[in-house]
Amino acid sequence: MIRIAAVGDVHVDSDVLGRFRPALEELPDRADMLLVAGDLTRHGTVEEARCFATEFGGLGVPVVTVLGNHDHQSDQQARVTEVLTESGITVLEGEATVLEVHGSRLGIAGVKGFGGGFAGACASNFGEREMKDFVGTTEVVAERLQEALLSVQVDALVALTHYAPVPDTLIGEPLEIYAFLGCYQLGRAIDAAPTTLALHGHAHHGSERGRTPGGVPVRNVAHPVIKQAYNVYQLLSEEVDLELVAT
Amino acid sequence: MSTQLDEYLEAEIQSLLTDGRIAELGITVHRREHQLVLGGEVESPARREEICRRINERFPDVEIACDIGITRAQAPTEVEEIS
Repeated sequence: MIRIAAVGDVHVDSDVLGRFRPALEELPDRADMLLVAGDLTRHGTVEEARCFATEFGGLGVPVVTVLGNHDHQSDQQARVTEVLTESGITVLEGEATVLEVHGSRLGIAGVKGFGGGFAGACASNFGEREMKDFVGTTEVVAERLQEALLSVQVDALVALTHYAPVPDTLIGEPLEIYAFLGCYQLGRAIDAAPTTLALHGHAHHGSERGRTPGGVPVRNVAHPVIKQAYNVYQLLSEEVDLELVAT
Repeated sequence: MSTQLDEYLEAEIQSLLTDGRIAELGITVHRREHQLVLGGEVESPARREEICRRINERFPDVEIACDIGITRAQAPTEVEEIS
């Protein structure tokens, strides 16, 4: 059995310090790791990255993240990644990491992802250079996710993105902005691998649960959606214990 | 001349909230008679106050009703099995 805690869109700055920490201190009793689905910071500054590392670092369980669009706002994403990595937090972008948990191997493949839309209402790689750049970026990012997912041999495999891979978890958002919240190419990449679970954030007004066309469970763990410090998902379980009691 | 409560004002406020300083993309703005109603959730009371302050500063004659909440951050009590 593996228990995964997950949250996204925590947008940490100095004004958030201490808000998550009491719940995070209980995390080792509740889960084997914490995955954070991007938008770790508010503006993507180095100072905010340090705040995130203070709030979410040193938990006693591995912390694995991807960056989100907010983490790119100040064009310091490379430095933000360095600060997080120096604090022991793993940042994935087109890569996978494997964690050994209770004798099982869990693979986590991550990318930020990008927009583009979904079947019937998606952007095409056609026309102006700007449009081709936009959709071209989407396609490259999705290919990197697929390669990362297929790069590991594991007992369970999680896809971690910031942008949504399916429209199901965007229900509640204005239909007009779906193309800026996710893309079908991420879902196709997830379905091309033996993925157990896909986690994303970004859609603050979206819905929690969905599935890819290939049947992979998708969970939107954006903080305003789950409305608690993190959710916990149980994989490879023989018996389900639905009670979580901190000791 | 007083500020007109119309779609352009809504769009201008959305733009104000997503600028580099506030960076809140998840705030909703609705017109209700003579008021603008702000909704959504943010991570701290300081952010909610800053949003209202910035809108009041830019549009002092617009009446604002602030329904923005602070997202709760308690530990979970349940686990979901994925199968």
